[in-house]
Amino acid sequence: MFDLLLRKGVENFIGVPDSTMKHFISQGLKKKKILITTREEEAIGIAAGMSLSKQCSLVFMQNAGFANSISTITSLIQLYEFPIIFLIGWRGYLKNDAPEHYKIGRIQPDLIKLIGLDSKTVTESNWKECCQWAINKINHSIPCALILRREFHD
Amino acid sequence: MIRKEAIKIASDAVANSPIISANGYISRDLFETNDKETNFYMIGSMGLSSSIALGVALKNPRKRVYVFDGDGNILMNLGSLTTIGKLKPKNLIHLVFDNQSHESTGGQPSNTKNIDIYKIAKSCNYKSFKTTSKVGLKKILSKTKNIGGPVMILIKINKGGMPGKRIIHSPPTIKKRFSQKLNKQR
Repeated sequence: MFDLLLRKGVENFIGVPDSTMKHFISQGLKKKKILITTREEEAIGIAAGMSLSKQCSLVFMQNAGFANSISTITSLIQLYEFPIIFLIGWRGYLKNDAPEHYKIGRIQPDLIKLIGLDSKTVTESNWKECCQWAINKINHSIPCALILRREFHD
Repeated sequence: MIRKEAIKIASDAVANSPIISANGYISRDLFETNDKETNFYMIGSMGLSSSIALGVALKNPRKRVYVFDGDGNILMNLGSLTTIGKLKPKNLIHLVFDNQSHESTGGQPSNTKNIDIYKIAKSCNYKSFKTTSKVGLKKILSKTKNIGGPVMILIKINKGGMPGKRIIHSPPTIKKRFSQKLNKQR
């Protein structure tokens, strides 16, 4: 998925790590394309700055970080119409995930809908279409989110 | 020196380099004293002006990129200093207008009365400068034109003065004109 997005023109990958997407991030680190920040909002700010230079950027985070970022998404990304792809790890998707993820996992789909962020949930079979869908959104200057379900425990 | 005076001096010195300005009275003062296409007024998302500027600086290494930040703003995003300090962009000049308060929301105190942003910046690999006067600010601005960053200029200011006018440009317009100018000059 990382390689496909890179090939399709995403130039910057910025965010806070999430174990749900550790392979995605490892691949990016190998290619020296990843910038790790201290908080998710900081990553969104940097991506916005890169987007001012006409560069396509992706911000990755866990859903806890998505909850942190709601104000930044509404008052920076959506307000100024910055085309940015969000990759959000869905903790709490499985009922028996760790307790700190229950609530955010349950309300995440509604929160995303409520703030009006277009999103698609990535699966084994649709990931290529999802990447192309996100690229098309960006080409029309619309921010969007790809959601990665956490389907394992560690 | 009050905020509007300091912002006027700094924006005159910056000329046509890009400026990312913090939300609240800082952006309003910049808009009123020196509205330019190269100003990006961040009207929401408090704390993030230095992060937006970092993104611009990394992608435009030949341009000097300025941040007009406030004490309340940088305190909300101190992590940004560590990311900037790690990446060490040579072209990033970070001005903090420090009135030790949240003046835009009624003058409530901030922590910078007791905590020195200058020292924090220094330990985050910034070349740091500090001033309390107009003459001092002008000197530092001209001296830092030729040194490699990241540079921090902490400007201790007094509260007071009328707030600047509200920004009349829509956020998409602010973005569009800034981006067009940035990419034309590249």
